[in-house]
Amino acid sequence: MNIPSADKISELYQKGVSRRNFLVGAGATGAASVLAGCGDNSMAASPTVIATAYTDADILNFALNLEYLEAEFYLRCATGSGLSAADAGTGAGTVTGGAQVTGLTSAQQNILNEIAYDEQQHVRFLRSALGASAVARPNIDLSNSFNALASAAGIGSTFNPYANFDAFIVGAFVFEDVGVTAYAGAAPLISAAGVTSGLLAAAAGIMAVEAYHAAYVRTYLTAQAIASSSYAYLGYANKVSALRATLGGGNETTLTVPTGTAPFITTIPTASAIVAATTTNAIAFARTTDQVMHIVYGSAGAGAGVKSGAFFPNGLNGKITATLS
Amino acid sequence: MATQETQVLDNIIASRRALLVGGGAALAALALTKPAAAASTVTAYTDNDILNFALNLEYLEANFYYLAAFGTNIYTTNSLYPTGAGVMGISGVGTQGTVVTKPTTCKVPFTTLQVASYCVETAIEEGKHVAFLRSALGSAAVAQPQIDLVTSFNALASLAGIGAAFDPFASDANFLIGAYIFEDVGVTAYKGAAPLITNKTTILPAAAGILAVEAYHAGLVRTTINALDPTGALGLLGYTQKISAVRTGAAQAATTTKVVDDFGLQNQTVSLSGGSNVTATTIVDADPTNVIAFSRTTTQVLNIVTGGNAVTTGAAAKGVFFPNGLNGLFI
Repeated sequence: MNIPSADKISELYQKGVSRRNFLVGAGATGAASVLAGCGDNSMAASPTVIATAYTDADILNFALNLEYLEAEFYLRCATGSGLSAADAGTGAGTVTGGAQVTGLTSAQQNILNEIAYDEQQHVRFLRSALGASAVARPNIDLSNSFNALASAAGIGSTFNPYANFDAFIVGAFVFEDVGVTAYAGAAPLISAAGVTSGLLAAAAGIMAVEAYHAAYVRTYLTAQAIASSSYAYLGYANKVSALRATLGGGNETTLTVPTGTAPFITTIPTASAIVAATTTNAIAFARTTDQVMHIVYGSAGAGAGVKSGAFFPNGLNGKITATLS
Repeated sequence: MATQETQVLDNIIASRRALLVGGGAALAALALTKPAAAASTVTAYTDNDILNFALNLEYLEANFYYLAAFGTNIYTTNSLYPTGAGVMGISGVGTQGTVVTKPTTCKVPFTTLQVASYCVETAIEEGKHVAFLRSALGSAAVAQPQIDLVTSFNALASLAGIGAAFDPFASDANFLIGAYIFEDVGVTAYKGAAPLITNKTTILPAAAGILAVEAYHAGLVRTTINALDPTGALGLLGYTQKISAVRTGAAQAATTTKVVDDFGLQNQTVSLSGGSNVTATTIVDADPTNVIAFSRTTTQVLNIVTGGNAVTTGAAAKGVFFPNGLNGLFI
């Protein structure tokens, strides 16, 4: 197996070999007010490049904050309780909200369990890789955050992702494509030492898992929308997508309900689904740390200096915590 | 009666199950009977060599999906092409080949809008990967090698114990199984290649982005197969397990001790925080402990797409999907 041991990566950090300069591209296009609602998906990011010195550990810790968020969300949906104290770190922040999603079929529960397990293991892997450098879980809000996002996205004044499986899927949709873009953006920032130690491969492999999850979510929503023309949740997801585009520099692909009449012997569907979120070259989007923060902070404002909000009411832990643009 | 090879596959599948039930606490190693041989001897390569290796695989994938969606290969005009699809260039460095298909149309007679639509989407996206890589490589791009999409699937089906023949273009379900063969491999190939790339400004981000798209496709295929056959009663889940086992066996054909690097669709027991053991469905193909997708070396990927023929030092790998081998440095 080519996956590096967490110990090996940890050892590299402790030797301090990974500090060097890299460029953090920051989404300069103003993340418009959250109240703007549906954004323009075609909005192009025109990154400003700011030289900043971060280590691989800083980047990993940025990712760890996001994994804490995902793990807490999915674990609470699956079981009603979140990460153990040992997994959250010393001095961990509190988690507000989150609840077990009930009334699931066993097949649905098994999918939810899988995603919860995957994200939990990502937390454990990153914590282990970072060793003593790992940040603790920051304060996380899984209740007011969804309400604020729903309001900003134009879904309604509240949104409860714990109400049923379809609502949960929309909650999951909020995170997964963002996870893909965050890792895609972070991968090229990893140092030469991180490439040698296997850190780049690990980040790429976690990104792939986020994409598997994102595909599940997007496939499920599309399939349900095909089955029922009155299915509302795909529309909610697209409103979330539009909001993410507004906050996160575009980088979104709207879900499409395919059309056409089967069987397709000599014909093809008149419109196809769009499960993969990609550029026109069929390459997944990448986001800067600033763009990711504008999304998870629910973008209390455009530009530099945004450092808390929405899912992280007291901000992230680590070195990458406030937007630079 | 099981042949030696199918017995080996059964062993791999059994070990995988043990691994999953154990929560991935220990990686089981398997003793296999293939003769040991040295792996590829390529030591000096450029980013272009890596991209060209990927281009060979994208030619394969794009042709498969174009044939399934539209009934024609990527270098033939077709009035069915929707926006985003079109005739691709296939000329370049090396020996240009054709695509061998069954005598009747390969266009899958899809009976569901869902699967038909996914096929078209994937065809468009894999076609774009071909176009993107060819554009990025310019005059350095390799030609499309000879590709076989008939006997290849029969050989794999036989090896996997699925049957003597398998037509991935016969039905919605067969198409999904055919797609399953490719997508997880694409993920492992790009993941294995990513750390080899020198240019981190343009090439690595593109490779990472294509890797993510392969994972989107792989997730799409797994999700749809699982929805189609939730209990495994149709046999599709069993097929995915057998194909995953074949991929492990072929990828590591040169080694007697194989490390599990592939999981089909099945239920596993996992432990969630708080200590509760629950059942989870493997919609993700990843290491069961770290839940990081697997990597494969170029040699391992070659072994899969040529049927374990990259095991001989210095000789080009030929067979299965690439009867005359690949074009480029990694052959």
